[in-house]
Amino acid sequence: MLVGTASRAFTRLHACLPPSEPSRRSKSPMSAVITIANLRKRYSYAKRGRGLLGGFSPQHVSIDAVDGVSFEVGRGERVAVIGPNGAGKSTTLKILSGILEPTSGEASVLGLTPWRDRKALAYKIGVVFGQRSQLWGELPARDSFNQLRHIYDQDKAVFERRLGEMVERFALADLLDQPVHRMSLGQRMRCEITASLLHGPGLLFLDEPTIGLDVTAKAAIRDFIRDHARDHGQTVLLTSHDTRDIELVCDRVIVVNAGQVVVDQPTGQLRKRFLGRKVVTVLSAGPQIVVDLPGVTRRASEAHAVVLDVDTRLIRVEQVITAALAQGGVEDITIEDPPMEDVIHDIYASALAVR
Amino acid sequence: MIAFVRLYALQAAAAVRMSFADRANFALQVAGMFINNAVFLTLWVLFFAGFKSVGGWGFADLALLLGLMMTIVGLCGTVFGGYRDMAISVLRGELDALLTQPKGLISRLLARESLATSWGDLAGGIIVLGLFADLKLADLPLLLVALTAGLTVYLSAAISFASLAFWASGARSFARDLTDFTLLFSSYPGSIYEGAVKVIAYSILPAGFVVMAPVEMLREPGVRSVAVVISAACGYAALAAGFFHLGLKRYRRGASVA
Repeated sequence: MLVGTASRAFTRLHACLPPSEPSRRSKSPMSAVITIANLRKRYSYAKRGRGLLGGFSPQHVSIDAVDGVSFEVGRGERVAVIGPNGAGKSTTLKILSGILEPTSGEASVLGLTPWRDRKALAYKIGVVFGQRSQLWGELPARDSFNQLRHIYDQDKAVFERRLGEMVERFALADLLDQPVHRMSLGQRMRCEITASLLHGPGLLFLDEPTIGLDVTAKAAIRDFIRDHARDHGQTVLLTSHDTRDIELVCDRVIVVNAGQVVVDQPTGQLRKRFLGRKVVTVLSAGPQIVVDLPGVTRRASEAHAVVLDVDTRLIRVEQVITAALAQGGVEDITIEDPPMEDVIHDIYASALAVR
Repeated sequence: MIAFVRLYALQAAAAVRMSFADRANFALQVAGMFINNAVFLTLWVLFFAGFKSVGGWGFADLALLLGLMMTIVGLCGTVFGGYRDMAISVLRGELDALLTQPKGLISRLLARESLATSWGDLAGGIIVLGLFADLKLADLPLLLVALTAGLTVYLSAAISFASLAFWASGARSFARDLTDFTLLFSSYPGSIYEGAVKVIAYSILPAGFVVMAPVEMLREPGVRSVAVVISAACGYAALAAGFFHLGLKRYRRGASVA
């Protein structure tokens, strides 16, 4: 519901904006790993009419999932592509990894055109889909890794060295001989990322890599992606709904909405303005808890629950909780990141104000 | 080519290991299919005890046909078992992950699964061919040609049916139904098919080229019969590959499935 509302709000705002402009952070052609120019992807589908006879006279509807996107990504950059559901993030990723052909526009990934040079590109990129597996569920992870060695025509010694490195960094030693379907989601994702890196790709695409993971597993995945990319000069392009993925892994953020690039900024700038927030919900048995401190804003709340927006640049979450507990009667406290839709909305509204 | 075969063997072996994973289930399925085939064969034995031939086919001819069919289905299921759920894989978007990898898609899809029941077919087929089909050792080379060609046609038909999933979501079950119809057509003496049914059996549901033409080749060997069997196998394989890649092109354009 929230996503739908946010998306509609963006669409309304978007109507006021000029067409999306190319990234202001252009790289020289030599250092650009990804170059996209005016990329478009239009999906068409048949919408059935109402009633018994409606199925015989479908209406053909078109949607611009990607609508003139242009940006460049330099070697070694870690870039997050974020946006509400249906914004065109995954479609862009699919075009760049060679799965989909665009309707129009140009793209170059590591010097290749993804949809024309799919197989050649596959040797140079790694792809992880958070909700799809490239491992064999019933088999131990080691067997899947071994198959990937043959799929990517890897030399055994090089492959063993890379696997050894991943096993050590990702603490996989106890998982290698375990069937994948018996692993936790976090363990499986560690194996998925390992699988995508065993052929030594220079560019890694990640589509929602931390979706559904617990806090500890998310932290392990983020640390690994960031450290591995930094140590190997690897370029990373990821999509996520989790603001922490963006803060802790990426050094640049591209916000897309309705198929267009809305904002393209370094994460540092965005963090200062939009990502330094927490949402604290305090449940109480008696009257509502009142926390009146600088940096704390009260959101619309219910009888026994108060929802507070905490600006962590001005006040620590710990101080807010201490103030709440001091009033007595607290039954439960939840600390969350603000929803991605809210963050994007703020970013988007700010961009609109600047223009 | 060697690398391709090695990779396929590696994947197929992994799929077989997966089907072995639940041993009790595996044993039950193999035994169930073996008994099913034995009962089917027994019915024909009883039938031929009363009638000496059906349209010129004796029991040994029918045993040859059934033996070929069981062996072909058995080999398909054990080594190329992914054909059974290929349409579902397409509809679930499972091609996405495969498209980001550098090797051929059809072989990857076929090697994904090994069907436990097919071991029952394979064992039954070998026994029927060995004991009841009136084959001699000298027939072995042609038998291998017959099995290879029949398997190619059956698999090609299954791939073509599964490729319908690129155009229609109903192909999920329709593809299986068509493959099962081909099997059904392959289970009866070819001489009973006449007119339009015979045309269907030698075209859309190619039972004629899966088992009937190979039976004819084994019973009346000659350049013509061998050429027919091999040409049909090559033709259906080319059609299946073409049809699949046409659908894949549509998939990569992001065209929606009705």
